[in-house]
Amino acid sequence: MAEAGGVRDLPPSPARFAALAIAIALVFGVLGVRLVQLQVIEGHEYAAQAIAAQQVELPIPAVRGLIFDREGRPVAVNVPRWVVSVVPADLPDGDRQRVLYRLAQLGGVDASALGDRLDGYRGSPRDAVPLIVGIDRETAYQIGEEESRLPGVQVTSRPERRYLGLDGTADGQLLSAILGYTGPISADELARLSASGYLADDTIGRTGIEASFEAELRGTYGADLAERDASGAAGRIIGTASEPIPGRNLVLTIDARLQEMATKALQWGLDSAHLESGVTIVMNPQTGEILAMVSLPAYDNNAFAAGIDPALYQSYLDDPARPLRNHAISDVYPPGSTFKLVTGLAALEEGVTTPTRKWPTYGCFPIPDATDGSCLYEWNRKGFGPLDMVNAFAFSSDTFFYQMALKLGVDRLAKWAHQFGFGSPSGIDLPNEAGGTVASTAWARSQGRAGVYSGELAQAGIGQNVIAVTPLQLLNAYAALANGGHLMRPMVVRGFANDKGGLVEPFAPEEIAAMTADPGNLQVIRVGAREVITTGHALNIRRLALPGALSGKTGTAEYGIAAPDGSLPYHSWFVAFVPSASGADDSTLAVITFTYRAMAYGNVSTEVVKYFLQEYFELDQDLRYDPLTLRRISPDSP
Amino acid sequence: MSAVSISLPRVLARRRLAGLDWQLVLYLLLLVAFGWILGFSAGFGSEPTAGTLSQSMRTLIWLAAGLAAFVAAAAIDYRWLRTAAVPLYLMTLGLLVLTLVIGSDTDGSQLSVSLGGLAFQFSEISKVLITVVLAAFLVSRGERVRRLSTIVGALLLVGLPAFLVFRQPDLGTALVFGAIVLVMLFMAGASVGWLVALGGLVVAALPALIGSLHEYQRARLLCFLDPSADVQGACYQLSQSINAVGAGGLVGQGLTAGRHNQLGYLPVQSTDFIFTVVAEELGFVGSIVLLVLFGLLVWRILRVAWTAPDALGRLLAVGVAAVIVFQVLINIGMVTGIMPVTGIPLPFITYGGSSLVSLCTGLGLVASVRVHADRHRF
Repeated sequence: MAEAGGVRDLPPSPARFAALAIAIALVFGVLGVRLVQLQVIEGHEYAAQAIAAQQVELPIPAVRGLIFDREGRPVAVNVPRWVVSVVPADLPDGDRQRVLYRLAQLGGVDASALGDRLDGYRGSPRDAVPLIVGIDRETAYQIGEEESRLPGVQVTSRPERRYLGLDGTADGQLLSAILGYTGPISADELARLSASGYLADDTIGRTGIEASFEAELRGTYGADLAERDASGAAGRIIGTASEPIPGRNLVLTIDARLQEMATKALQWGLDSAHLESGVTIVMNPQTGEILAMVSLPAYDNNAFAAGIDPALYQSYLDDPARPLRNHAISDVYPPGSTFKLVTGLAALEEGVTTPTRKWPTYGCFPIPDATDGSCLYEWNRKGFGPLDMVNAFAFSSDTFFYQMALKLGVDRLAKWAHQFGFGSPSGIDLPNEAGGTVASTAWARSQGRAGVYSGELAQAGIGQNVIAVTPLQLLNAYAALANGGHLMRPMVVRGFANDKGGLVEPFAPEEIAAMTADPGNLQVIRVGAREVITTGHALNIRRLALPGALSGKTGTAEYGIAAPDGSLPYHSWFVAFVPSASGADDSTLAVITFTYRAMAYGNVSTEVVKYFLQEYFELDQDLRYDPLTLRRISPDSP
Repeated sequence: MSAVSISLPRVLARRRLAGLDWQLVLYLLLLVAFGWILGFSAGFGSEPTAGTLSQSMRTLIWLAAGLAAFVAAAAIDYRWLRTAAVPLYLMTLGLLVLTLVIGSDTDGSQLSVSLGGLAFQFSEISKVLITVVLAAFLVSRGERVRRLSTIVGALLLVGLPAFLVFRQPDLGTALVFGAIVLVMLFMAGASVGWLVALGGLVVAALPALIGSLHEYQRARLLCFLDPSADVQGACYQLSQSINAVGAGGLVGQGLTAGRHNQLGYLPVQSTDFIFTVVAEELGFVGSIVLLVLFGLLVWRILRVAWTAPDALGRLLAVGVAAVIVFQVLINIGMVTGIMPVTGIPLPFITYGGSSLVSLCTGLGLVASVRVHADRHRF
């Protein structure tokens, strides 16, 4: 190319110019056509895609439904919980020391702890890191006023569950067994539930009504529509995709006043007999509505709302009395003599005996098949002479009911136990209900045995050994007796409520099954239960001046391992109902008390029910005995 | 620069001013203004880093430099370039080697050399320099231009700098070199038969060429074949870009109001994907206006080529036209999903001083052909 000047230029070729021009025109043509296609023809489609890509739905939590007691008292509400957070990206390093110091000062906490919490955060520096949780409203406002001098600091509030007592102040003990609690969602729950709209910082009902009515209480979350930038961060809110639908409010069948009354009575009984654990349930036998359900010791469900302190939680777990369990429905115990209800009715229904037929009773009843000639004792070790059904029930004769059970056989006894609702969960609207055990041939085979021994069968007849029930099942069986043979589904939620606690959508009481028992036979047992009070061994409870014919049954249920003197530890039961007259089926009140390992001279449970009835009917009487000393609590009471 | 500014008034004072293609200047100014406004919109809302000039201020500085380069190049008698071809070629190689050796890191590849805070990409000016060198070479071939040896010579001549920019790695500029060679050989009168054969050879070698690409370059190429593949990864830019272009619709969402642009969905929107901002904010109408401006500019360049007094002037002009048309095709084709994704800027619109100054220089040379034509008409 160093050859200069001498080379002659080739003339321009018009053909090649034309070709070049056409090629260039084609380039512009192709680009133009593509733009027509993208922008004019398919423009709407791409606009829609672009908008979808640029928007993100920000969930708006729904207000969790309130819970009221049957009188409209709020027992579970939502209160704002103030949280001070810092967005690390918005906090300049130069201001950090000063800002954290001021926050610590205002929040009454240690500044270095705040620094550690901020440094320990491993998420995006654009996230708000919660530093102080649960400051009071005044402090929240104070920090808000200083906002301009506190870069990166945010004060937010989020609703938190608060459980209230009878007087409307916070009380996490009174109803915790029924209400349960809510808490921050766990990673496992989130993995399972994120498809149903649960969020990473969501709360969820864990147990009790909070869990069983989670869907209704939670409501339906709404969503704001916000712009999303390419990093995925949400920006300006541009609209609302859907409004949140608040959770439904619930009205309980529980009356907080009766709950407090029952709690007071049970706590007194436990304290005076130096016991730890017990249950009292109050029910309307006609409807299955639970009016009070106390399981002691109680736990504080308010402690769970923002995530429970691990030390407190561990102390609950370590407590042998297991306060986190609702003993009324989750634990099973031998019912003892209270189970004579089943044996007695079964014997009448199956023709083993008649209401008038008398049977001998024994100091010790020989077990028919026992090769060693062993016998089963009457509880008084003497016997009562010949007894008919009513008196056998009134005196709670063990040897009478051994004979009934042996004549019935295990499967006929089991059939009537099932009719009374034993052996399977009642279906109450609470989680974690146990089903219990009812001995039968099928049950024995499921245990890998050919059948039930006659000694076991006799013991089953008095609710020992191979029978295990929840306190609720037992109360519900007596409720079926009291209402004339209708096994009702126990309920703790009466229906949906308005914001003031007024019932707007009641749940209908539900009959699990109508018993096939003859009403006359049921009445015989009810009379027997009345005789327990009037002629039996239920001490002075007969003197209560009640507006009805108090009927009931005591039980002492032996369990566990015998002491050196051959005696076994035992639980104590008392179940009662109040018909208008002896044998009537119109009772609207049934009460059961169970006390765990109640090894006292007196029947602790009877004293608790007595105390509750005195309070419930506002009697001017105090007939309580101290269960340990058997001294009257108020010797001068009429 | 100082020599230029002194000689300017003298040059323009002559009646040669009349020879200046004022339409060419008009379209150039319109395109540059278009680019400046778009660059402003693309950067709208993002604060300049402390201690640096805002993008639109820097663009204004580059603009002044570009216009000065245009005037200077127009003032130079393009025929002088023929004698300077060998030093220019060596200078080109030197600049490209320099870039490889001390190039600063931009987006993971060595593309630019920083001069006094303003980054300069020598690969941009090399496009113009190669056009000049190649034009000189082809003219020197005279009648022998039809021989295969001319094609081989041209390929060797351009091959070395092309290899150097490819190593940077700057696939886009290497491809522009290819377009320059092809168009200039064709317009110089090279044998069409041999060119076609050469084209066949390139197509046959395509798989091997793609195999030699970096992983990310290959991934972006495959996006063009199927934009829906790997939308979150390599093809993300492309699918977002097509969405934004389509979302512009007929009249667009308005300057600084393009949601994709403003929400940061177009990660390099001020550079190679600037056309998406045009399409999203100004719509089909704005896009077509831009295309028409390019078309008018190219038309003026071709007109200079057609009326050029000699082969050197003609080849210079078609070379510059080839650079502009090829970059427009690849860039707009890329953001609309009909061309593979390669880093080729949109002439005058993409933010970047080196591209602007280089193109202005090229256009200045084209203007020079026109300005100096009459003197040699005899």
